[in-house]
Amino acid sequence: MEQLFWATFTMVAGVFGCVAYFFFSNMLLDRALPPRGPNAGRNINRANALRPWLFLFPAIFVLGAYLIFPVVNSVWLSLNNPSGTRFVGAENWSWLIGDGKFWESMRNNALWLIVVPALSTFFGLLAAALTDRIRWGNLAKSLIFMPMAISFIGASVIWKFIYDYRGEGQEQIGLLNAVIVAMGGTPQAWITIPFWNNFFLMAILIWIQTGFAMVILSAALRGIPEETVEAAILDGASPLQVFWKIKVPQIWGTIAVVWTTITILVLKVFDIVLAMTNGQWGSQVLANLMFDWMFRGADFGRASTIALVIMLLVTPIMVWNIRNAHREAR
Amino acid sequence: MKHMLFASAAALALSAGAASASSHLVFAPGEGAFTWQGFEDLKSTDLKGETISVFGPWLGPDQKLVESVLAYFEEATGADVQYSGSDSFEQQILIDAEAGSPPNIAIFPQPGLASDLAAKGYLTPLPEGTGDWLRENYAAGQSWVDLGTFKGPDGNENLYGFFYKVDVKSLVWYVPENFEDAGYEVPETMEELKALTDQIVADGETPWCIGLGSGGATGWPATDWVEDMMLRTQPPEVYDQWVKNEIKFDDPRVVAAIEEFGQFARNDDYVAGGTAAVASTDFRDSPKGLFASPPQCYMHRMASFIPAFFPEGTVIGQDADFFYFPAYEGKDLGKPVLGAGTVFAVTKDSEATQALMKFLQTPIAHELWMAQKGFLTPHTGVNTEVFTDPTVRKMNEILLNADTFRFDGSDLMPGAIGAGAFWTGMVDYVGGKSAEDVGRAIQETWDSVK
Repeated sequence: MEQLFWATFTMVAGVFGCVAYFFFSNMLLDRALPPRGPNAGRNINRANALRPWLFLFPAIFVLGAYLIFPVVNSVWLSLNNPSGTRFVGAENWSWLIGDGKFWESMRNNALWLIVVPALSTFFGLLAAALTDRIRWGNLAKSLIFMPMAISFIGASVIWKFIYDYRGEGQEQIGLLNAVIVAMGGTPQAWITIPFWNNFFLMAILIWIQTGFAMVILSAALRGIPEETVEAAILDGASPLQVFWKIKVPQIWGTIAVVWTTITILVLKVFDIVLAMTNGQWGSQVLANLMFDWMFRGADFGRASTIALVIMLLVTPIMVWNIRNAHREAR
Repeated sequence: MKHMLFASAAALALSAGAASASSHLVFAPGEGAFTWQGFEDLKSTDLKGETISVFGPWLGPDQKLVESVLAYFEEATGADVQYSGSDSFEQQILIDAEAGSPPNIAIFPQPGLASDLAAKGYLTPLPEGTGDWLRENYAAGQSWVDLGTFKGPDGNENLYGFFYKVDVKSLVWYVPENFEDAGYEVPETMEELKALTDQIVADGETPWCIGLGSGGATGWPATDWVEDMMLRTQPPEVYDQWVKNEIKFDDPRVVAAIEEFGQFARNDDYVAGGTAAVASTDFRDSPKGLFASPPQCYMHRMASFIPAFFPEGTVIGQDADFFYFPAYEGKDLGKPVLGAGTVFAVTKDSEATQALMKFLQTPIAHELWMAQKGFLTPHTGVNTEVFTDPTVRKMNEILLNADTFRFDGSDLMPGAIGAGAFWTGMVDYVGGKSAEDVGRAIQETWDSVK
């Protein structure tokens, strides 16, 4: 009951508060700098200069509270002890540098970073190009797009059944092992094979993200001016040449945006690793490592330190991505 | 281990139909062998309009059981008790506490986690006198007081946790019919158990089913093995030192205990599916090998809650049974028993909350669950006649016959070890790393969190 009351109160206060804020702040501004009288001209100019900032203030304030403050607080926590009560200087950072699991996570994140965006974009482009001009292309596209609708955890559960392993001689309920046994091979405990298991986990994300890449790239492919393609064909270009030399260069910007968007997603990869291996068998990644220290180790200092590392890694890619998207939009 | 959540769901799955709902009382007050005094006394406390939120790891059948007990408190006092369970309790309670919206009472499956929260000032110490009450009314009372005593935010030690509901872990499950068919006897000593294991291999069969898989908690069943082996190869004092890290994780005695576990788990002939299957088989699927035809394995070492994952309709005592995971005859360490339990702690104090905690001390609060399924208690004031389930009685006997009772070590270690590095270490060990390397890696992490 109490919560319900506060929820309703917050909603009402929020909506009316916003309206009231704009109304009264505007009124106040008009009062302070009346657009009439001897200084009307100067006042109007000043009020116009102030007004955007006045209106922007709530948004800037909330963004500050929810984005800037957490970052500052994370930096502070990363310099403190596990419960955030005692300043320990760079202790968490020096721990991080010397921690084997951290470097394993860095290596794995790098692998994810290279493999997943590359393959997702590649398969997405392939699917977009192949389904573009065929009658049942839309059907194929919806099938490829469908995994996008599944949550990462849901996808992991599905893939768990694909990689499932039973002892040799027992009936394999995992699809992959069942196929291998049917073809006369020996079953493997896929997700427990160090190093290679990383790639089995990546397959899940590629499976999900290919649909995303395909949809965006397919739209870009359709946006290519027909004349350029026709001209190339008239000049005697083969279909492969048309694709690689005429179409791809024209959508290069979109490809880059798709690539970087997936890259950012990959840096934050967490759910799949948590659900499939929890970072065991050498498959740890940064986000899961952070979660481990935060909620298993109850160590705010170390968790914040790892969070900051993730942020530092994401930022340059994000900046580049936004710039690129801007250029596209223009 | 942490997975007390499944605890005791155990027998319930097999039960004919106890505890159907919390809306009505399971046993009519005043009837049967129960100690109704506590319930009657409670009626003088009027808590109408008060709400108490209780948050714990129990879901499904266990949730029904705990609600059926809490229903009596509601009935007597008029208070509204809201129990909610989560299978990611460990993370959720931390989030709730940090966010400033904790429940009134939290039920911790691991004392280590409760200790973390106490250190951050999120727990309210139990009222004075609770410690004395425990010493008087709980078997081995002092050990329960020690287990529930944590350092507060000011560094002073206080009693924060009240143990309610205990589990026994040193059990080996088997199918009596399979033993009869093959002519095997239940082993009384570790030497006999190892001989039986070799005998089964010699007969061309596979003796053990071991599964360490448990999603994000993969590895924990192995920590129970190692703890049991620790108690069977070293005196309990060494175990206590190990748990407190007064002896290192790569101490030869600890390494030897890990290797004792390895003798079973790292022998391809001993485990169903070979060693590769150990780490990847889910612990919930693992016991199913016992019931396969022909059996994939003959024995399965697991805590008292595992029958919840036996095939439907399995009757404990007939279709499946258990024996005490035996001790070495040659080591003279008595009969150690490894166990665990759930700790109730106050996360947001109120008068009604204190009344509920008080209710949990009355024998009736224990008897009501005992009379249903899967509940063991160290409370000496309860009437054991209410045990209706011979299985539970047999487990209780194991508890009573124990020369040493020790709490699950990994639950007592800091979260980063007991629910982190130890699990990872066990997974790596089964994967082929040496016990020394694994011990050293865990010790390094432990050093780093000190």
